[in-house]
Amino acid sequence: MLKILIPTIMLFPTIWLSPSKWVWTTTTLQSLIIALVSLSWINWSSETGWASSNLYMGTDPLSTPLLVLTCWLLPLMILASQNHIKAEPIARQRNYITLLASLQTFLIMAFGATEIIMFYIMFEATLIPTLIIITRWGNQAVRLSAGTYFLFYTLAGSLPLLVALLLLHQNTGSLSMLIIQYSQPMALSSWGDKIWWAGCLIAFLVKMPLYGVHLWLPKAHVEAPVAGSMVLATILLKLGGYGMMRMMLMLDPLSKDMVYPVIALALWGVLMTGSICLRQTDLKSLIAYSSVSHMGLVAGGILIQTPWGFTGALVLMIAHGLVSSALFCLANTTYERTHSRTMILARGMQIIFPLTAVWWFLSNLANLALPPLPNLMGELVIITALFNWSPWTLILTGAGTLITAAYSLYLFLMSQRGPLPQHIINLQPFHTREHLLMILHLLPVALLITKPEIMWGWWY
Amino acid sequence: MSPYVITILLSSLGLGTALTFMSSHWLLAWMGLEINTLAILPLMAQHHHPRAVEATTKYFLAQAAAAATILFASTINAWTTGEWNIYCLSHPAATILITMALALKVGLAPVHFWMPPVMQGLTLTTGLIMATWQKLAPFALIIQMAPFTHPLLLTTLGLLSVFIGGWGGLNQTQLRKILAYSSIAHLGWMIIVTQYKPQLTVLVLITYIIMTSATFLTFKLMATTKINTLAMSWAKVPTITAMAALALLSLGGLPPLTGFMPKWLILQELTMQGLPLTATMMTLSALLSLYFYLRLCYAMTLTISPNTNNSSAPWRLQNTQATAPLATLMIMTLLLLPLTPLAQTLTN
Repeated sequence: MLKILIPTIMLFPTIWLSPSKWVWTTTTLQSLIIALVSLSWINWSSETGWASSNLYMGTDPLSTPLLVLTCWLLPLMILASQNHIKAEPIARQRNYITLLASLQTFLIMAFGATEIIMFYIMFEATLIPTLIIITRWGNQAVRLSAGTYFLFYTLAGSLPLLVALLLLHQNTGSLSMLIIQYSQPMALSSWGDKIWWAGCLIAFLVKMPLYGVHLWLPKAHVEAPVAGSMVLATILLKLGGYGMMRMMLMLDPLSKDMVYPVIALALWGVLMTGSICLRQTDLKSLIAYSSVSHMGLVAGGILIQTPWGFTGALVLMIAHGLVSSALFCLANTTYERTHSRTMILARGMQIIFPLTAVWWFLSNLANLALPPLPNLMGELVIITALFNWSPWTLILTGAGTLITAAYSLYLFLMSQRGPLPQHIINLQPFHTREHLLMILHLLPVALLITKPEIMWGWWY
Repeated sequence: MSPYVITILLSSLGLGTALTFMSSHWLLAWMGLEINTLAILPLMAQHHHPRAVEATTKYFLAQAAAAATILFASTINAWTTGEWNIYCLSHPAATILITMALALKVGLAPVHFWMPPVMQGLTLTTGLIMATWQKLAPFALIIQMAPFTHPLLLTTLGLLSVFIGGWGGLNQTQLRKILAYSSIAHLGWMIIVTQYKPQLTVLVLITYIIMTSATFLTFKLMATTKINTLAMSWAKVPTITAMAALALLSLGGLPPLTGFMPKWLILQELTMQGLPLTATMMTLSALLSLYFYLRLCYAMTLTISPNTNNSSAPWRLQNTQATAPLATLMIMTLLLLPLTPLAQTLTN
């Protein structure tokens, strides 16, 4: 664990001490090396389920894929923000990379934590860097209200979680993930216990986000700079899913009856947010709503609490993380050239950027879960698990996949196909950096399907 | 003010508090409080500004009323029980009266009304003394009193304070008033846990003093008392401006910062006492306070250049304030959370 964490912390001296000419190169290089070293976690040889553990941290099959994804994302974020941050004074550039690196440090500690309170603190600790990324480096004045929404939705959910965790701690005497699943099952029946159940999950459902408490997410995505959007879509939403998977183990007897309204809301959200995507005019907002729609499926998979549901949720989380991040990067490349997120102003880009159109095509296909990509695997496993739980869910999930296909197609046709608008006369050509960024997003997606066991979680 | 006078005033200020700390007799405790009040009055009124004089008068009236009530209630107690000792307070009317009088002294809701206008009339240095040192003596008495007083009274005081402290600050544009409301909210956290674990009260008091001192010193360095002028402070001290935003979030109690530690330990204690509902209300009240801290952060750090600003650029005078205390306090404001196990050991 420390062999990743310490180099990550050593990013701070790298950022502040390297000469200004080399800041971006050295930080990208160092974070990429960290990402490569972190791949060694995948090489799984533990019989107890936990590995690389020390007193406070460890990895298990559930957290490993998310940890590797976290490490993988930092170099990509640095690559993606290079262009629009380069114009700032050097101290601000360093500040920005420092925020990204601190976010990575907190996230590694969050996914690596073996104690639930430690996870909680790191979960909350990610708020401050993300808030600063959104509100300091966003583009418009609305970013402040987006930051407020982000902070207060999350905190209103997660502060009751702290009280709920402290109550759990009082009942079981320990909150260590290593042993808590072996503790006595609690007799939960009273109304107070039901409220406690809700308190344990609401924080994560807000973070996911569940349909109904998702309003902060499109705002945050639209206003955040590209790195903020990337990390939100890829990792921060997955903190919610990860936390839910950890908590569900402890909520067992109550969950059977309590989850119905939540599952209904999650699956209904898949349809609703998908339909919202169909009539979006704003590029980033569309991708953000598509995230909500996918995460609704993830929430459904987790809440029915079957091994298949969990596996599907984890696979979909990883795949969606990479693909939505790729889409946000592509949206940003358009934004940096046309300075607008409105889709109608940047149509027909295939004519001038054919290779980028390929990236758009591949990312959209991955987003609509084309076989054989891991997105399909995740969705299929979740849909199967939900179908087994109740055949009627197929109406919602089936319609959901159809709508996903429809809006992905809409996104592609709208941005790439058709005639070029008259006002687009002088666009900067694509950098090699941007193509590299897309390769680094899409290559893992393609490679993961050749060995999906590494993101199957506990059950393979 | 002449250095001789200020020495006498400051040493009386210290003496009054020390006297209250050490006393076991109500009369002596009352004397300490009075010396303390009388010593700060000239400090408050030293700039003969109408606002300062008004603040001094208001403060004097509130403190004198509180001190008179303490004297009255302890006399009743001595009359019925024949005992002046602080630990022997047993008459219920006397305990409730004294608790309310001490609440008035520190500025707990619902007897907090003097506090925001008084803070608004002071210089930032005197305001710092008011928000930190002046809380110590009454809290020493409250901690000693807590076992004898009615538990519901303390809980009500605590809950009211956190909510009113959060609510009141939402509508303010003046920094000193915002800090006064933040002080009320923190006092609520202190008082709620006094009856269960007084060591935690001390811990909150210490962390609050650290955080609020850092904030006051920052504002003093920037010479700013309004949100409007705060928006231009980055031009003077950019690094401190960046740190100050984090210090404000620490006051608000966001996790990786120091301010989370006392809240966490208090919530733990409250849930251990079987009061999860109170604990949840306390946590949600923190959101109210956090909103105005966040607004300050927005104005100060997160909307800096290039943007349109509505205030004129401040004078860039030579800084005469020593920065070492500010630096120390700022580091302690931001980075003490990993010391929680130590705090837990010391408070058990």
